[in-house]
Amino acid sequence: MTSVTSNQLDAAAAEAARGRPVRQRMSRDDLLMRIMLVLLTLWLVGTVLLPLGALLRKSVEGPAGEFVGLANFVQYFSNPALTASIANSIWIASISTVICVLLSFAFAYGLTRTCMPGRSVFKLVSQIPLLAPSLLPAISLVYLFGNQGIAKDVLLGASIYGPIGIVIGEVFWTFPHALIIMTTALATADARLYEAAAALKASNWRTFWTVTVPGARYGLISATFVVFTLVITDFGVPKVIGGQYNVLATDIYKQVIGQQNFRMGAVVGLLLLLPAVLSFAVDQYVQRRQSAALSARAVPYEPKPDRAIDTFAFIACGLIAAAVLIVIGMAFFASLATLWPYNLTPSLKNYDFDNMDGGGWQSFYNSLKMAGMTAVVGTALVFMGAYLVEKTKGFHTGRFIFQLLALLPLAVPGIVLGLGYIFFFNAPSNPASFIYGTMAILVLCTVAHFYSVAHLTAVTALKQLDQEIETVSASLRVPFFRTFLLVTLPVCLPAVLDIAMYLFVNALTTVSAVVFLYAPETTLASIAVLNMDDAGDVAPAAAMAMTIFFAATLVRVLYILLTRSVLGRTQAWRRR
Amino acid sequence: MNAPVTITQAEKPYLVIRSVTKRFGSFTALQDIDLDIHKGEFISFLGPSGCGKTTLLRAISGLDVQTTGSIHQDGRDISNLPVNERDFGIVFQSYALFPNLKIKDNVGYGLVSAGKSRKEIAERVSELLGMVGLADQADKYPAQLSGGQQQRISLARALALSPGLLLLDEPLSALDARVRARLRGEIRDLQRRLGITTVMVTHDQEEALTMSDRIVVMSKGRIEQIGTPDEVYGKPASPFVADFVGRMNFIEGKLVDAASADCRGAVLKLDSALTYAPGTPVTICLRPEDVVVRDTSGAANAFDVDVGVMEFMGNHFSTTLHVLGSNLNISADLSMNDVRDLGIKPGVRAKAVLPAERLRVFATAA
Ligand SMILES: Nc1ncnc2c1ncn2[C@@H]1O[C@H](COP(=O)(O)OP(=O)(O)OP(=O)(O)O)[C@@H](O)[C@H]1O
Ligand SMILES: [Mg+2]
Repeated sequence: MTSVTSNQLDAAAAEAARGRPVRQRMSRDDLLMRIMLVLLTLWLVGTVLLPLGALLRKSVEGPAGEFVGLANFVQYFSNPALTASIANSIWIASISTVICVLLSFAFAYGLTRTCMPGRSVFKLVSQIPLLAPSLLPAISLVYLFGNQGIAKDVLLGASIYGPIGIVIGEVFWTFPHALIIMTTALATADARLYEAAAALKASNWRTFWTVTVPGARYGLISATFVVFTLVITDFGVPKVIGGQYNVLATDIYKQVIGQQNFRMGAVVGLLLLLPAVLSFAVDQYVQRRQSAALSARAVPYEPKPDRAIDTFAFIACGLIAAAVLIVIGMAFFASLATLWPYNLTPSLKNYDFDNMDGGGWQSFYNSLKMAGMTAVVGTALVFMGAYLVEKTKGFHTGRFIFQLLALLPLAVPGIVLGLGYIFFFNAPSNPASFIYGTMAILVLCTVAHFYSVAHLTAVTALKQLDQEIETVSASLRVPFFRTFLLVTLPVCLPAVLDIAMYLFVNALTTVSAVVFLYAPETTLASIAVLNMDDAGDVAPAAAMAMTIFFAATLVRVLYILLTRSVLGRTQAWRRR
Repeated sequence: MNAPVTITQAEKPYLVIRSVTKRFGSFTALQDIDLDIHKGEFISFLGPSGCGKTTLLRAISGLDVQTTGSIHQDGRDISNLPVNERDFGIVFQSYALFPNLKIKDNVGYGLVSAGKSRKEIAERVSELLGMVGLADQADKYPAQLSGGQQQRISLARALALSPGLLLLDEPLSALDARVRARLRGEIRDLQRRLGITTVMVTHDQEEALTMSDRIVVMSKGRIEQIGTPDEVYGKPASPFVADFVGRMNFIEGKLVDAASADCRGAVLKLDSALTYAPGTPVTICLRPEDVVVRDTSGAANAFDVDVGVMEFMGNHFSTTLHVLGSNLNISADLSMNDVRDLGIKPGVRAKAVLPAERLRVFATAA
């Protein structure tokens, strides 16, 4: 067709107009993006969905791999020694949740709604528990209140080994998680409501109950479910300080590691999936409601100084912060004591890991390596996935499936995921089974375990970019990856670094996801803590936990310095 | 073969839109749009919020293709082409500049991928920056420029590859009134100079009237009228257009015969002979500024009126005239001269003509 007359053209147009649907041809970019998104979807299927499927399958298999229906469940529920753990778990989780949510509400209130001094210091201290494995507070409690503990008498004869210890440890460990939710909920207050309450001459007390608490209700609900799930699925604290008190998470460990009863482990794992899935559903629901609750016209609340309230808040927050520091400080002090409690001369004897069981310093290096790889691989995958799911044109079903898979890990406890990995990757029929027992499987599992939060961070950052940037670059016929590298990635650099940091620290401190997956050459520092504590070497365990803590802190400090200088240089365009 | 639709224009149109329909689920955002745009024309899509202007622009650009129907650009069927195989530059209300790239890199962004040499790019960029009057801003970042400057950069970027079609989606809406007025003129000048076919979406009638060669007035996914600003303003094709563009008196009446109508007791002579039967209800439209108060002797449709409250509008007075012996009230804009010379004040009696050739008559929809 060299030349078209307008008549021919119009005839063709008129014909085309007879209601034939127009299907847009895919550009090379569209095709490439879809292929990449499909590949990433397959990756999530392989590292999240199939391991969970393997777990499910294991729970309905007999010893020879035959299908036995619910026989394993029947067996489980007919064993009172095992089912007692259900009540224990629920009890522990409930108590810890109530305490943790109340404390975090008070702390968040102090941070966001008062003018008490030292708020930035309090904020910093409150984040400390995130930098250590959940084993650390438990070990610390042993030193504080255990058989040879310095403050043993405070318990009036009650034993720390059991529910009391578990609850204290869990509250410590989950505190920052609840605090993040509560500060967000309390920070997004609408000042107009308070002005209205003041105009109506409502007392402070009444305003608190009629405005503040209802305003934070979604935060309270969300924090409640998040903490409950974290506690009921945590394995580190009860493992160290639970004594004879059995909970679901430690039962899995005992069934799998102790008795090699994988099928029963799978059954318990599935039980643990329930609260997590429930909490996930509630959280999704709450988040949708909360974002709608704050209208665009809301006026941010600015606290005014009030002598009485500020002093009270300072004392309350001070006590909480002191407790956090005491727990960390105790572990540090114990790790330095030559021979607790007889010889308290400081020495580095307990840090001489190479002459102890548990993998020595090598396990620490392994941890650094694993965390580094997780940060690099995970950040790349997460950011690419978030970019593709946000920017691919059309392809609604594919994007929906990916989005679903990206959020799924949020509903899967680490110990359950790890168990699924055994079943999935240890199966001889799996062509990827060669990675079993290598560093790769640890990285894979850890990336999958922490995928969702990182994904959400990336999506949020991408949504803040002008949505038309891709449109403009397509109209200029620039391939999408060029714009991705030249514009999207640099603009999102702060979020990318945040994600890398998040993955690194979590990979360093995680126990539950990797406890079934390490091999003698790939022991990790957090596992070493567990094993040394198990073998009775509590002081070296504390030393290793502190080493992790210092490493995480150092990386965080370096990160802050680095981002300041790097972002200062590369983000000059942000300045007006 | 279907009977060809004849095109009366001598030159074949640059952009031919035929039967374009766009549905979102069960909602029809565009219904059977037919439109020809000629080379070098400046076309505005004008209409109230939600009428489908942006949807039509997105169909033309391929960002969101039509459900059915065809679009040809320069003789090429582009109906199903992906965005990056089409030939257009686009400017958004939000500017959509790349925030981390310097102004010169923003403008030269498409040139790099087009495989131009460094020297060519530098020359073209400075040419484009000169064209939009921002040659001295090349090394700044977008956040360091004002809104109006950013929009000019975005325009320069859209023009970099010398596209055949320029699409503007409410380019001036985010700017304040002064900047907006100045940019209107600048964009129009640039468009004339380059002779580039341009489609602009706007809901601002003043913008459409001052900038366009032709205006496409849209409502509820349909085209109400296509015409020059003069035609759309002076000869609205429907009461909707009459109402949407400019201010308008809507006078309800009944036809007495083919050339006159009884409006609340006042009989108006009509210029156009109507084919409706006597007694048909009609709506008669008259612009307030078309009411004449000077030299009224002997004219048709001259009435004695009482002058109501007068509002000072800066360059004219806006007032309501009550036609004596009827229930008819007319809004009128009176020039400063008329008011001064004729001594018109609130409450005085005056003479006013509703010129027959200025009345637009529509049968009232049942
Ligand atoms: N992606 C979509 N899904 C569903 N409905 C849509 C979508 N995009 C537009 N619509 C609907 O189509 C109609 C026309 O939208 P369009 O954006 O074209 O309006 P507009 O004329 O540009 O209005 P405005 O002046 O507000 O920008 C609106 O009713 C809108 O709600
Ligand atoms: Mg629009």
